[in-house]
Amino acid sequence: MSGKENGFGKRLGRIWSQYSYIFVLLIIMIGYAYTIHINGNDFKFSHIAAILGSQNTCIVGTIALGMAFVIITGQIDLSVGSSLVLCTGVSIVVFNMTDSIALMILAGLAAGALCGLINGLLVGLGKMPPFVVTLGTMLIYRSLTLSVVRKIDPVISGSSSSQFAMISKKEHYKFLRMVFGTGKLKFGSFSIPYIFFVFLLVAILLIIVSKKTKYGKSVYAVGSNEKSARLAGINVTWVKISVFVLTGVLVGIASLLQACKIGNVTPASSGQSYEMYAIASVVLAGVSMAGGKGNMLGVIFGALSYTTINFIIVSIPGLSVDIQDTFQGLVLIIVILIQTAGPAIRESLQRARKRRQSAA
Amino acid sequence: MTILEMNHVSKAFGGAKALSDIHFTVEEGEIHALLGENGAGKSTLMNILTGVLPADQGTIRFLGKDYPSPTITQMEEAGIAFVHQELNVINDLSVSDNIFLCREIRNRLGLINQKEQLRRTKQLFEDLGVEMDPSAMVSELKTSEKQLLEICRALYADAKLLILDEPTTSLSNSEIDHLFGILRKLRDQGKSFIFISHKMPEIFAISDRYTVLRNGEFVTSGNIKDITPHAVTSHMVGAQYVDAEVYQPRKLGEPIMVLDHYSGEGFSDISLEVQRGEIVAFTGLAGCGASELMQTMFGALPATGGRFSVNGKALQGSIVHFMKNSVAMLPSNRKENSVVPDMSILENFYLAEHELSRGKRPFIRMKDELRRYESQKESLHIKAGDPSDSISSLSGGNQQKVFLARWLNIGADLLLFDNPTQGVDVGAKEEIYKLILQFASEGKTVIINTLEIPEIQKVADRCVVFYEGKIVKIFEHREVNEHDVMLYSTNAIETAGEEMRS
Repeated sequence: MSGKENGFGKRLGRIWSQYSYIFVLLIIMIGYAYTIHINGNDFKFSHIAAILGSQNTCIVGTIALGMAFVIITGQIDLSVGSSLVLCTGVSIVVFNMTDSIALMILAGLAAGALCGLINGLLVGLGKMPPFVVTLGTMLIYRSLTLSVVRKIDPVISGSSSSQFAMISKKEHYKFLRMVFGTGKLKFGSFSIPYIFFVFLLVAILLIIVSKKTKYGKSVYAVGSNEKSARLAGINVTWVKISVFVLTGVLVGIASLLQACKIGNVTPASSGQSYEMYAIASVVLAGVSMAGGKGNMLGVIFGALSYTTINFIIVSIPGLSVDIQDTFQGLVLIIVILIQTAGPAIRESLQRARKRRQSAA
Repeated sequence: MTILEMNHVSKAFGGAKALSDIHFTVEEGEIHALLGENGAGKSTLMNILTGVLPADQGTIRFLGKDYPSPTITQMEEAGIAFVHQELNVINDLSVSDNIFLCREIRNRLGLINQKEQLRRTKQLFEDLGVEMDPSAMVSELKTSEKQLLEICRALYADAKLLILDEPTTSLSNSEIDHLFGILRKLRDQGKSFIFISHKMPEIFAISDRYTVLRNGEFVTSGNIKDITPHAVTSHMVGAQYVDAEVYQPRKLGEPIMVLDHYSGEGFSDISLEVQRGEIVAFTGLAGCGASELMQTMFGALPATGGRFSVNGKALQGSIVHFMKNSVAMLPSNRKENSVVPDMSILENFYLAEHELSRGKRPFIRMKDELRRYESQKESLHIKAGDPSDSISSLSGGNQQKVFLARWLNIGADLLLFDNPTQGVDVGAKEEIYKLILQFASEGKTVIINTLEIPEIQKVADRCVVFYEGKIVKIFEHREVNEHDVMLYSTNAIETAGEEMRS
């Protein structure tokens, strides 16, 4: 009897540890449905669609996908929030100047890749700790954008002295903002925002890269044991640089989503703490901060969980926005506690039981 | 007087029996060798003794007191100390700080009384006959000194019984002699040791008694002086093992690899020619430069002068470039330099090959990978479960075979093996020797770097002895013997001059 129980418990434990991010999302979803219920409303598909299309899912989520690669190699990138602001600024300026969708996309991606390349070269060739390098570029990227927005002609920046905004008179403005940025794809009575599909597409691509390509495996190998990876012929420096560039390109994609969904960016305040939100999503996805371990599929769930937590907090009446981060922080700590302390607690309980049995 | 008595000890992990009905006793003032292949249950038994793991059954009696369910702290306080294979000293503290770690001597202000700590450390070292500077930083110590430091720390805490887990793996012969001298002295003072090692000469040099475990069962125990190394080996591996002569002379091919006045970090001016199908052994004391030479021949360290050419082509640059020219290196220290711990057996196997093929084929084709893996698994006799199991689920010997497979998978012709049988049990060692000979008969060229001379006698056509970064002597297969190799490795030949040569 107890043997059977043990077997089931063990299997459940294994599934839990492998797919904990799915359970986490389910539990948080149930919590969200419950808060909506006590507010006197029905939990509908539109609530889920709102989570899918939220900027926390799509913009932070896209960045988190890159962050996961960086963390899997055992590094960190703190500059993503600032480079998001820089890239959005660049893509909006290019749009305002050319009214060309292709050039805007190209500019956003190129700016992101460049930001990432600078991080990567400083870390990879300069052999400096990524935490310090990206802390430095975090300050630099935002302050550069800030100083440009103050000086630039409003005809190009599209707004006052504190913002970059897409100019609504341009020919492609309506398509980018109204059709794509805030539009939804309808399935009968359901509708899902277009930008969620961008995030989903990028996520699927990166899941394939991480699981099915030789490059993806080398990323894990570098994070798991750098010395062994090098002696197996892997160019560790190149892999380390490449994940920063990849993250940069993803920030570029996120900046296009930001431009199309929001229509503007404020260098002084936009994208603030996004690096932390991205790291939180990666952690909720069950990726090990020590590197070498983690499932990219989890990042989709991690980003959704993180957004849902936000929605729960917003939907509780009488709770001010100021306290939001406290709850986010608490949930994050609790989830990690369950993930890391869970197995340890189980083990010590088993030991205690054994000891009691042997003493008896 | 018997100080430790373990009786009827059993332990299972899940369904697998790790230990069944073990008897193990240690006398006061003896060095007791605990013997067995990897996986025989030595570590499990020691973990139970030190309270790391709870036993399912059995009794532990130490110094007349029973410990029905020991904890780590209890056993430490009782006077049992475990000196691990991976040293647990702290590099960034001084020698005396390490000794007094967590039991610092404080002055009235609650600050550490450095002066008193240094004085007591000095006293301790004098009592033990250890020559070490108490104020030196641990990072500056040699490995043997770190080992000694850890033993001293245990002794300062008044340990009666010390467990030494393969204490000599990273020591040179003179360092081993030094360590053994101190162990003998401590034994005569009444301390007891459990000595875990795979090296027969050491076991017979230092131990008083022995206990052999096999597959988690007690096999035999007795006095070392009543048994031969051959008999011990038979007990360890069971009846089927015979220490047969595996070496066979082969016909060698054309010269494939040439070192021409090759220099780098730790070695200089090395010239050597190796033929296709030859097995050459590098040997020498730890730090003699042979391992560095090998790493430089794989692009892992930079060369500073001279030429290294394979098939007439001079090689330099990145590791991948060497791999493309069919050079492969199995590094020493498997856990640190070969194992990718978070990856499966299959992933550990295919990583290196991917670096050569990903330009043309960036995607992984599972079917091809599995086919390649299965064929290597069969020819190398790898005992492994599912290819998607974690690499750490394998024993040391089978892990090492996976890494051999990793390099055979890139089609390498020149195989550099740095200490390939490190941490591998006797049975698997023998298999690795057979494989090396098999590779050579298939036309591959093998260079092995090893400190174990019996290993050289088993496989090598020639033996190159290094001393302080230079080749001092090259022996042919039939000339290799422990005594002569040691003479050249320690450079005794130069010191003693003509007298020794005659």
